[in-house]
Amino acid sequence: MSSTTTQSGLARARRGIAPGGSGTVPGKRRSKLSAQATRTFFWLLLPSVVLLVLIHGYPLIYAAIQATHDGDLLQTGNFVGGQNFATVLTSPAFWKAAQFTLWFTIVGVFGSWLVGLGLALLLRTRIPAGGTFKVLLLLPWVVPIVVSSTAWNWLVATPDSLIPSLFRNLGMGTPLFLADPSLASITVMVFKVWVSFPFMMMMISAALASVDTTVYEAASMDGASRWQQFTQITLPLIARSTYISWILMTIFCVNDFPTIYLLTGGGPVNATTSLVVLAYRTVFQDFATGPGVAIAFLMTMTLVVISVILYRQIRKSSVE
Amino acid sequence: MNATSEQRRSFSRRGFLGLTAAAASVPLLAACGGGSASQGGGGGAGGTVKFWDMPWATPAYNDAAKGIAEGFSGANGAKASYQIIQWNNFYQTFSSAIASKTGPAVSTGGGFQAFQFEQQGQIAYADKVIEKLKASGQFDDFLPGVLDPFKSDKGYVAVPWQLDMRVFWYRKSLFEKANVALPTDWPSLLEAGKALKKVGAFGFTTGAGAGNNYANHSMIMMMVNNGGGVWNKDGELDLMNDRNVEAMEFVLELVSNGIVDPAAVSYTTDNMSAQWKDGKAGYGLFQVNVPQRVGDTSGDLLVADPIKGPHGDKATIVFPNNIMMYTNTPSQEASEEFLVYYLGQLKQLWQKKLMSALPVFKSITEIPEFANDPNNVKIVKDWQPIAKTFAAQGSKLNANLAALDGGQALNQFSQTIITGKADAKTALQTFQSGLESVLKK
Repeated sequence: MSSTTTQSGLARARRGIAPGGSGTVPGKRRSKLSAQATRTFFWLLLPSVVLLVLIHGYPLIYAAIQATHDGDLLQTGNFVGGQNFATVLTSPAFWKAAQFTLWFTIVGVFGSWLVGLGLALLLRTRIPAGGTFKVLLLLPWVVPIVVSSTAWNWLVATPDSLIPSLFRNLGMGTPLFLADPSLASITVMVFKVWVSFPFMMMMISAALASVDTTVYEAASMDGASRWQQFTQITLPLIARSTYISWILMTIFCVNDFPTIYLLTGGGPVNATTSLVVLAYRTVFQDFATGPGVAIAFLMTMTLVVISVILYRQIRKSSVE
Repeated sequence: MNATSEQRRSFSRRGFLGLTAAAASVPLLAACGGGSASQGGGGGAGGTVKFWDMPWATPAYNDAAKGIAEGFSGANGAKASYQIIQWNNFYQTFSSAIASKTGPAVSTGGGFQAFQFEQQGQIAYADKVIEKLKASGQFDDFLPGVLDPFKSDKGYVAVPWQLDMRVFWYRKSLFEKANVALPTDWPSLLEAGKALKKVGAFGFTTGAGAGNNYANHSMIMMMVNNGGGVWNKDGELDLMNDRNVEAMEFVLELVSNGIVDPAAVSYTTDNMSAQWKDGKAGYGLFQVNVPQRVGDTSGDLLVADPIKGPHGDKATIVFPNNIMMYTNTPSQEASEEFLVYYLGQLKQLWQKKLMSALPVFKSITEIPEFANDPNNVKIVKDWQPIAKTFAAQGSKLNANLAALDGGQALNQFSQTIITGKADAKTALQTFQSGLESVLKK
């Protein structure tokens, strides 16, 4: 079998074309709606639009007002322009939290994706009690975060907790998982991956389910190895789901308050303080509403930029 | 049409951006403070005094408090309603409700909440309540010094109803096992700590993990115990005074000797309670009712004596929790009447053993349900007279104390100290800068 044939088969497979299929994609069929139907759609959509404006628009505008004023939760105060933003951007605490948020997000997104991908692929094979296994794997995602974080606290918090005890019995010392700044950061990130991988697994499983298995047969007949099938077929075919899940997980990680707050409270000595925890503390513990909301604004802008970049990747993967 | 093109059509750029913006705006929505008022009907509730209370103890406490509140029957047919407000984001809950005129007429709340809302002109002064208490004789029943911190230039901002005191507790059997005497001063605390360490226990039990303020309280207590404090007598920030530096150097010495648990920086209050229950905690600052809290009523957990600082000072800290009245009320007279009534009924809460705090009335400290516990008696006799508020070295409470209590600056400071990450002066300097940045100018 020639390499040309193999590549041809893989290329067809990447596009999701079954052997023998024409691969032709129907052209865009624009169904023109009648003017009456358009009006009907408009009126049907109107309640949702009004609700969205009320639920999202009003708080956004109110937040913008608070970010540019020096008041508190009860009184808006005086207009100070960009002073709150300047205060935040010149604060070392902000940049430390931004740095932790970045690492937390990178590890959270890619860690949970890798684990989720591995398990999704494993679940695709025929394993005994696969259904039960799937349900068990979903548990970290299903269990309320307050329960998970409490359970993890029991597992690692004190020198006599289960995991430090295991380390000690193995002669590896007694690691203080939540008390040492570096270990606490790692623990929080591992916890995030543990909580999030079922979501990734489900996203990838759904994407894999839509892949015609005959493309693998075709690729196999063309002589593609398992690794080639994985990199040349599986990954491209789940690329859209991957990018979408990355976008969502990025948003989940950046906005994740309970995972961090319940496990470490942002400590020790701010080692695990993310931007959303910092925003919360600034508003609700220091009562500095303007700077706190300014942090939230900066986070939102960053998230929109990241999401747009990833969205472009989705479009690119679709075009290919 | 294949799945790809269909998905692309339904997944337009505009739709995507809309979804993204909605999802990304979560932090804004969370932080903007635009939370909805949790109560309706506010001030104009037809002679019904809305009383908001916090979960101060087990649910049984709130049931009992509800029963008391709803038992109110004032002149002109005034009634009272009862609402529990959770601690989570409580200040936002109160703020948004007050801003929308749906807040309570009377409430308990954060220790310095009354002063925060006084700044906004939302608090009704309690001078007439005090007059009524004087007329009824209940005024003389207050323990010494508990009322004074609430008297501002304009009047009484609130009325205290319980004292959340911090005292040293110890486990008797561990001291016996370590064959060491109870500390009476700082040097003997250091010696006891070293001896306790040898038997696998900690001599300065504390915690600074998620939601745990005991390390914060321990740091301020040690400063106050040495005649220092966060503020000077005029209420100005004064963290760098020699007494504070000395106190923190001593705590750092405890840390360096392993007398403070190295993992304490991450301990929740549950972790701390477990240490007390499991015999890992030999000595440390805690609240009232520790045996009941940690589930060991064997008599082995006891209140220790106050200890002397190196200059002979002796003090601890107390949070005088209070009941406040708001200007938004169906009737100020009804609010005052309700407050007097409620204070008169407080005894029930201690009779039913629902409280983890000291009463503010001498008569309640004398009821058998309270006085039969020797720990309670010792706290009232030995600790209450030397207790100072977070305002120490000054004595007047004010809104700035809210920024200190549980704020980021104090958390970071106490975590820095109990991990031994900085010397005392550097840690105090950072603490001072952090506080200055959030205090009202």
